[in-house]
Amino acid sequence: MASASTSNSGSNEQTPEAIALKAAVFQRLHPRVYLERFVAEGIRPDGRQISAWRDVSVNVGSISTADGSALVRIGDTTVVCGVKAELAEPELDAPTRGFLVPNLDLPAICSPKFKPGPPTEEAQVFSDRLHEALTSTGTISLEDLCIQPGKAAWVLFVDATCINYDGNVFDATLLAMIAALKNVTLPKATFDEDTGRTVCTRKESAPLNLKCLPISFTFGIFDGKHIFPDPTFFEEPLLDTAVSVVLKEDGTISSVSQVGADAVEQDALSRCIVEAKARHQLLLSKTIYP
Amino acid sequence: MAAPAFDRRRVNGPEESFPPVFEEDREVKKISKRTDRENGDFRPVFLQPGLITQANGSAYIETSKTKISCAIYGPHQSKNAAYSENGRLNVEVKYAPYSCHRRKAPIRDAEDRTIGVAIHQALLSSVRLELLPKSTIDIFIIIIESDGLEASIAAGSIAASTALADAGIELFGLVTSCSAFNEAQALMDDNDLWIDPTLEEAQAAKGTLILSTMPALETVTSVWQNGRMQPADVLKCMELCQQRCVQMHAIVARSLVDNNQVEPSE
Repeated sequence: MASASTSNSGSNEQTPEAIALKAAVFQRLHPRVYLERFVAEGIRPDGRQISAWRDVSVNVGSISTADGSALVRIGDTTVVCGVKAELAEPELDAPTRGFLVPNLDLPAICSPKFKPGPPTEEAQVFSDRLHEALTSTGTISLEDLCIQPGKAAWVLFVDATCINYDGNVFDATLLAMIAALKNVTLPKATFDEDTGRTVCTRKESAPLNLKCLPISFTFGIFDGKHIFPDPTFFEEPLLDTAVSVVLKEDGTISSVSQVGADAVEQDALSRCIVEAKARHQLLLSKTIYP
Repeated sequence: MAAPAFDRRRVNGPEESFPPVFEEDREVKKISKRTDRENGDFRPVFLQPGLITQANGSAYIETSKTKISCAIYGPHQSKNAAYSENGRLNVEVKYAPYSCHRRKAPIRDAEDRTIGVAIHQALLSSVRLELLPKSTIDIFIIIIESDGLEASIAAGSIAASTALADAGIELFGLVTSCSAFNEAQALMDDNDLWIDPTLEEAQAAKGTLILSTMPALETVTSVWQNGRMQPADVLKCMELCQQRCVQMHAIVARSLVDNNQVEPSE
């Protein structure tokens, strides 16, 4: 019915709504061609230049039930992260170390791609990579979390929840986790030898000592030659290759990962690293952590 | 506390961990009288429809310490379900692990379902499900920060109804919800009825009541009363909640209108 009415009205008299509908149908049916047409004009479907990033905003400390919290938005992608501190006995083989437990949840609310239930494969991979990024850079020294060797230590549960999934969730989550950890204040805890219990006091508390603030920069490579920084949900499935560069705050590389290797130009990886460093400088100059 | 089951799909912590014990908490907590609002007032509400881009409809609600996000997906075809003349509402509620004073391990527990059922009841009679045979509407709710069960149910119902309207699903009316409680001994000398309890107030209360209504049609969609309450008090609570629901209705309607006026200019 819709197509009959548009053909009757003639191509010159189309309303903006009808054109928008046609574009949406085209995008749905031929996503790749849709994206190619934009790229030919040097622009991305969300109106960005090819090499542009989306705006980043970080908000901390809004969740009173968490010991530290942050809300990060990259474009429309929204990730909330809360840190809960609990007490536990250290492992026998590491009596002076606490625990850092980062997890990302991709609930059904954030995208029609996900269904309620146990963590999806994507969430499992993200959680593992985040764990790797936080531990390999030595963001927190686990020894700092020890209260009494062999008896008591802090466990930091760093739980991130994606509220709105519009691509590049890894960058947003790492940023949210770091911002939330920066926001944590732990109460002063003392281990009582006689009772074998740990007691805390609200009168004294101290922030965590973060040794490194890693930031991740993700790129997608489209059609073997176009490098898209900060890909959106629509672009992600169309990309041949995804490259994530994690940088420490002094600009040194902590890790580079490349998933999918077909048809990548020789210098694509180094171009990604150069662009990541440039973006890193810009973010640091804007003091992204409030 | 039983140790949470080891789940290899997540990054796991130690087998057992406990929330910290504070020196200060050994003394019995005293609940202070309200200073920020009158006994009969609800907390200030921030309601924003349409924040989740990929959902058919969505809403975010914040009433001081209660923060809830809700998304609607559907209506879509019911899968693995017998033929039904009417559509189905599927309400899934999830607590974020950091939303409560004690960490919630990421497993569905009874509390999630309680809230889900209560919100389902509140909304069920407002949606024109007879227009959607063989279909399901998914309502996903995430509690980012919780300040008591009562407040979560009330705010969750409002957010879900707003999101349904935002999704363009036909409704008989918008559902608003309000809670009340009586006689928290520590709190009051008079037998007053109070509106919109916080977590501490709800724990100290003898009885609580949550009323969900469609103010536009002056009908009640669900009443949920818990604990001890005189029949006369129940009726009085309902009347108080009804008045607050009417005020809330204006807030919800305003937010939907504002949200739709902004869009064309973008």
